[in-house]
Amino acid sequence: MRELRVISRAVVCLTVILLCGFGAMAQETAKPVKIKATAIQVDMIHSDEIKLPAEFQVSMYEDLVRQLQKKGPFAHVYREGDRNAASAPDLVILRSNVTGFKEGSQRKREVTTVAGETQIKIHCVFSDKGGKTLLEADVTGKVRFFGGNLRATYDFAKATTKIAQEHFSSTT
Amino acid sequence: MSLRGKSVIVVTCLVAVGALMLPAGSAAQQSSVPVTDAPVKVVVIKGLQGVKDNAKGTLIVGDGSMHITHDTTVSNLDTHSIEDVVTGDDSQRVIRGTLGTLSWFAPYGAGRFLSLFRSKLDTVTIKYRDADGGLHGAIFTMPVGQAEVIKKELLAQGARTTVTEADTKAGATTPDAKEKQ
Repeated sequence: MRELRVISRAVVCLTVILLCGFGAMAQETAKPVKIKATAIQVDMIHSDEIKLPAEFQVSMYEDLVRQLQKKGPFAHVYREGDRNAASAPDLVILRSNVTGFKEGSQRKREVTTVAGETQIKIHCVFSDKGGKTLLEADVTGKVRFFGGNLRATYDFAKATTKIAQEHFSSTT
Repeated sequence: MSLRGKSVIVVTCLVAVGALMLPAGSAAQQSSVPVTDAPVKVVVIKGLQGVKDNAKGTLIVGDGSMHITHDTTVSNLDTHSIEDVVTGDDSQRVIRGTLGTLSWFAPYGAGRFLSLFRSKLDTVTIKYRDADGGLHGAIFTMPVGQAEVIKKELLAQGARTTVTEADTKAGATTPDAKEKQ
């Protein structure tokens, strides 16, 4: 009886280990192949259809440049119009267009907690020098509870940098 | 004294502080007469090269440059490199900083109540080019009434804008022009 218990426990343990192993293998196989890019040029955020306040536009751009410089996979991060970008090999150009914007209220958030969310939806396109699209993604920046409205732009910048980390590499 | 009694005293004190701060904020708004030559107290929210985020300083426009003094250092920005100047408005909590943070722990939602007391601000957003042609953006906040003065000065010194005075007035009269808070 005791031996049977030991055997059953061992079987359970083995099953768990095998399942974990298969899970890890499945994750590894699902990883996308990273695109080689040593430099990125960040263009100013556009909002063709949505009326976006200038401070949000500038804040998104600055946060994006800063986050990519800090945590991005690129060796160089160039701003729009930077003459040095022309000579950069494997240059990726990031264009972002605002597709949705809901300006919340910091006062409402602080007073009610549940109301006053600020949300920005942006369509990001990573392309090469020739204009060929390498990656497209829809990113959302939010501020729900704490902080000013401009914190949504930081959230957007972090999310976009994460996407860049997942799909680009300067070494591969 | 019972715990309830102490709580009541804390709430009363916070409300009193809030009530005292509110007229002070209003007075500051009323006394913000546009002065062109005097340095304007600003907060650099973000984006200015060599200046930390949320740095407090003073701003003077003159000699074809925008001079921002902060922490005994002066940053100069050529006004001809400024491609766009846009003004706006915002608001901030009257009680902020350490006291503002502590107020969140006050009982009976006193912290939330104090969030209702806010002072208005003007914002100036600029876009400018660096020596390599790279585009930058910077956001400043300043007392109410100063943003338009700064904008006019910058435009007079060679800066450009995409939003004219007429556009601003038209925007203010549209039904969707709302208070941002």
